[in-house]
Amino acid sequence: MNAASSLVNISGLSLIYGAKQEAPVQALSDIDLAIDEGSFVSLIGPSGCGKSTLLRVLGDLLPPTDGTVSIGGKRPLDARLDRQIGFVFQEPALLEWRNILDNIALPLELRGVSRAERDSKAMDLISLVGLDGFERVWPRQLSGGMRQRAAIARALSTDPRILLLDEPFGALDQITRDRLNMELARIHEITGITVVLVTHSIREAVLLSDRIVVMTPRPGRISKIFDVDLDRPRSLRSRADERFDAYVRLGSDELEKGYADA
Amino acid sequence: MRMPDTTNRSALNDDGLFAQAFPPVAMFVIMIAAWQTVISAFAIPVYVLPSPGDIWLAIVNNPGPLFRHSGITLFEAVAGFVIGSMMGAVLGTLFAYSKFVARGLLPYVIAANTIPVVAVAPIIIIWFGHGLSSKVAVTAFLSFFPLALNMMKGLLSYDRTIMDVFHIAAATGPQRFFKMRLPNALPYVFVGLKLNVTFSVIGAIVAEFVQADKGLGFVIMTSYRTLNMPRLWAAMLMSALIGMAFFAIISMLERLIVPWHSSLHDNR
Repeated sequence: MNAASSLVNISGLSLIYGAKQEAPVQALSDIDLAIDEGSFVSLIGPSGCGKSTLLRVLGDLLPPTDGTVSIGGKRPLDARLDRQIGFVFQEPALLEWRNILDNIALPLELRGVSRAERDSKAMDLISLVGLDGFERVWPRQLSGGMRQRAAIARALSTDPRILLLDEPFGALDQITRDRLNMELARIHEITGITVVLVTHSIREAVLLSDRIVVMTPRPGRISKIFDVDLDRPRSLRSRADERFDAYVRLGSDELEKGYADA
Repeated sequence: MRMPDTTNRSALNDDGLFAQAFPPVAMFVIMIAAWQTVISAFAIPVYVLPSPGDIWLAIVNNPGPLFRHSGITLFEAVAGFVIGSMMGAVLGTLFAYSKFVARGLLPYVIAANTIPVVAVAPIIIIWFGHGLSSKVAVTAFLSFFPLALNMMKGLLSYDRTIMDVFHIAAATGPQRFFKMRLPNALPYVFVGLKLNVTFSVIGAIVAEFVQADKGLGFVIMTSYRTLNMPRLWAAMLMSALIGMAFFAIISMLERLIVPWHSSLHDNR
């Protein structure tokens, strides 16, 4: 990996919650990480390992205490203001008073894009995430999985350079989750966007990622980074590949080491 | 994937007009019949309970004044409702945006809210005089609190993750207000407005009790003094009709403005 091809560069990053209070909590400690442009990277680890915190720092939702973070050579703040960041949260967080089309077009609307232009962009995204025919429906009329598809489409609306997903499928049943995993793999394949996925599931991470970052808690650190060399495009059948199980074991072993230390 | 049936709302709302209108009409007929029967059977004197026929005659024999007085009360209720609700909305917004103002004023607002309107009405009438404006002011006073409190609650009850979505999208302060917090507050605003429908009719009539030479409160007081009970019942009926019509208009506005809200779709 060379520096020129990496989109995200994190060095010496640490984050302390309540640094000025009596009992500060070190959420992240001395994180160094580079993420290649166009790659799919998963952050995995037990609760409290700081994986979501790290993702929120990338999205400029949290300021780091120390260290530097750059996305395409910019601070997260500037990358965000340039609308280069797409963020998908655990909950779909759709506006219930807007139909699906207007929800997906929201970031474009906030940016002042004309109605015709943002509608046409949103319609393209509706097709991309497989919600054709649902554009005029209220969010509450959709299933959880469909709402999360809409949230992904919304995150992609400004054509960001990086898509950050914070356990986006955690609340979904296994079948829906499998389907959305494949949607995400397909979207990554089609758009070539850089993806960072936070997940609890090592199988999900192996299925989707080029590279997996295993983190351990107290303080949140990176304990291992390994590449996943499975054929692309990925499909649910990738799980039948014998290398798939080997990667899952590798990740699980690393996670267990983290538990043992804690 | 199939389209969900967007026309399917609720058992209460979406049956045909007949199915919706029939039960209340049927109940009305039954109650009136029972009422008339009880009065005939037990020979109840008219000052205790007038019969539906007596009340009907009190209305149709001299409808002009009754409708004129109803119009006065309706005007007081609506004007006070609008002024009080608007002032309440502004203060509620201030509360939502300034912790200092909220902490400083909220205890007094809540205390003022518990004062019975009959105690406040004479003071307001001294301040605003004997005309319609004092009745409007009493009504506005009553309409003020529900809107202030519900507006504040609505503006503060937004989803934190949605706030993050707006942050990621680099939304400005006004965009956050108009595209997130205000629409999010609208269902709460309608809760306040519906309370105010009732309060504004009560406020207008109570103010007329205290001092007035017109309005339904005045009719009720004078009818009571002369023991003209059919006329008192007729006035009461008019005030109920005003309240119902007013409530229906606000409910219709709610359906137009917040059609997405789940309370309109719940199956009951």
